[in-house]
Amino acid sequence: MPKSSVFSSKALHGFKQFVRSEASRFLALALFLVAVFYIIPICISVYMSFTPLRNWNIDRYAGIFVGLENYYRFFYLLANDPSVKSVFLTTAVFVALTLAVNVLGGLSLAIATFFVNERAAGGLQLLWLLPRMTPIAVYSLIWYYFFHPSSIGTINGILYKLGLISKPIDIGQGIIPWGAWAIIVFVNGLVGVSYGMIVFTSAINNIPKELVIAARVDGASNWDITRKILVPMLRWHILYVTTWQLLSLLTTYDHLFLLVKWGLVNRDYGTTWSLYIYNTAFLTGLQDQGLAAAAGVILVIVSSILGFITLKLMGFDKLIKPPRGDL
Amino acid sequence: MVSVKLVNVTKVFRGGVVGVKDINLVIEHGEFMALLGPSGSGKSTTLYLIAGIYKPTRGRIFFGDKDVTKLPPRERNVGLVFQNWALYPHMKVFDNIAFPLRLRKIPESEIRKRVVSVARMLRIDGLLDRYPWQLSGGQQQRVAMARALAKEPDVLLLDEPMSNLDAVLRISVRAELKRLQRELGITTIYVTHDQAEALAMADRIALINEGSIVQIGTPSEVYGKPRTVFVGGFLGNPPMNFLEATVGYVEDKPILVIGNNKLRVPDHYEELVRKLGLNQVIVGIRPEDMGIMDKPVPYRTIRAQVYAVEPMGRETIVVAEVDGSQVKIVTSKSIVLREDQDIHLYPSFEKIVLFDPKTEKALEVLYEEEKLE
Ligand SMILES: Nc1ncnc2c1ncn2[C@@H]1O[C@H](COP(=O)(O)OP(=O)(O)O)[C@@H](O)[C@H]1O
Ligand SMILES: [Mg+2]
Repeated sequence: MPKSSVFSSKALHGFKQFVRSEASRFLALALFLVAVFYIIPICISVYMSFTPLRNWNIDRYAGIFVGLENYYRFFYLLANDPSVKSVFLTTAVFVALTLAVNVLGGLSLAIATFFVNERAAGGLQLLWLLPRMTPIAVYSLIWYYFFHPSSIGTINGILYKLGLISKPIDIGQGIIPWGAWAIIVFVNGLVGVSYGMIVFTSAINNIPKELVIAARVDGASNWDITRKILVPMLRWHILYVTTWQLLSLLTTYDHLFLLVKWGLVNRDYGTTWSLYIYNTAFLTGLQDQGLAAAAGVILVIVSSILGFITLKLMGFDKLIKPPRGDL
Repeated sequence: MVSVKLVNVTKVFRGGVVGVKDINLVIEHGEFMALLGPSGSGKSTTLYLIAGIYKPTRGRIFFGDKDVTKLPPRERNVGLVFQNWALYPHMKVFDNIAFPLRLRKIPESEIRKRVVSVARMLRIDGLLDRYPWQLSGGQQQRVAMARALAKEPDVLLLDEPMSNLDAVLRISVRAELKRLQRELGITTIYVTHDQAEALAMADRIALINEGSIVQIGTPSEVYGKPRTVFVGGFLGNPPMNFLEATVGYVEDKPILVIGNNKLRVPDHYEELVRKLGLNQVIVGIRPEDMGIMDKPVPYRTIRAQVYAVEPMGRETIVVAEVDGSQVKIVTSKSIVLREDQDIHLYPSFEKIVLFDPKTEKALEVLYEEEKLE
């Protein structure tokens, strides 16, 4: 059979032209980067999850195939090991609450700024960028001292001075689980607020000011304007920030790593899924890369599903408007 | 009865930008007032002051006898229509129109009745189920009008509501809006930079320039008797012609010297020119108040050269040069003229307006003001 009957020569010609074009070079670079930094690591993880790899002994284990064993182990631990159970409970609570703080906090700040005197609020908004700009170690250290379970801890110092407590309380280790959760939500919530705030602020600034003036003339209060005009018009941005933050919260562990390592929060109730993967793969004594890879693969699947659901729930498909009606 | 009164209203924005200064304006109950001026002259600022969106830096605003200076917008019961119509993009037409009513907690059945009746009046009752982006410009403009009228406002404020419509549509909406305003008898302030719109629709026109009101009057007053060079030059298409003239005296009678032309001073200005003792004046003549002759008449015609002829169908615009400056003449006659041909312009003397070159005010205005001092 001649080749031209499979690929029409016209299509082939078009393809050849595309390969030679500037655009293909540009696209090739992007594809290359995606492959190097995303696809290849995922493939390696998936592969590793089917091997009994441990202690990074690649020569010895990487060639052995154990089927779904790592996955069985993962679900077995999830069902039976209390500390793994607590990790997943913590992940759910941490992601849900921090997400709420991130999105609602960012939205409230952006809207408050909109209603308040612009200049003063501009400075205030910059303040919220500080957690983002501060190096992770320094930022974590600040909150380490803030919540420290001794009289040098800021909170304890204040409560003691006010005479509300007689001896320092250990919030992160003593009040389980909510004390530990409160700290990790607080610290990460603060980091994420600036992101939503910036997205929402720029979106609000793009809303024609006449819409708000019209509503005011019609008798709308700030609350009415927020509820009936700003929030509906920011729908797409809220959807975007929510999805984005959800996915990054599922995978973030840098602050948590330090807070747990320094002993400020309880290990079981300060560890989330992604930190658990890190610990399982790298922490001395565990070093079970096969199990970690399986947990990682499941995290990718769960993130994808959750991301898809949020987009669906918030009506991503409706964003693509039907064509303009005939006039 | 709602009249609107602005007394010495000044608005200075943060940063010192003066929006309007010392505005005094009365709009009678049921009157259609046009606020006319170039872009940036303070028209929208005035409107927003009346609506209560801006608070005046100085001065007071009254609705009838009631001082509303300090009242928030919601307690003023005004309807406002914007240049971009400001329809809420996420609401259907029905909900857009119902929005002000819902804020007033009116029962939903009553809201439905009112929305439908105002939509019917504006002939958009077939569109209630659409989103704003599914409408044409003209339809969006009607929806904006409907939203402003649905709440039965005491005062209707329109901020260049037609400048986003194409020229043909604008002319038909113009008549419709004027008719609607008459029927509803609602006190209306219409902001525009389009002099034709203001002349066509308004009972009275307030001309505003650089934040100050320069003249208030009926369309024929502001058109025929401009108080300043600005008003003469802003109204009319083509606008008023201005010629610089020196004042001379022949046998003790004042005459106007424009280049090599000598022109008698119009009767109604003779005494004023004498009293004010001016050496220089600006002669303002409307393009339609000049005839074209082929022979000069002493003291009555100005010599000119044809620069270009623009036949416009119903009328012809002749552009001519007088002593180095251009003037336009609108004539209904179809005359045959060559370029560079010598012609003689015969102004209607009773329509001429003379201005003082220094203050750019009409001589009668200058005289009044000097008398007051
Ligand atoms: N909110 C504001 N802050 C500062 N300056 C303003 C504001 N609104 C208008 N101005 C200024 O006031 C002047 C009048 O503006 P405006 O009333 O919008 O003019 P118009 O509607 O006649 O085009 C302009 O110089 C404009 O730049
Ligand atoms: Mg304006």
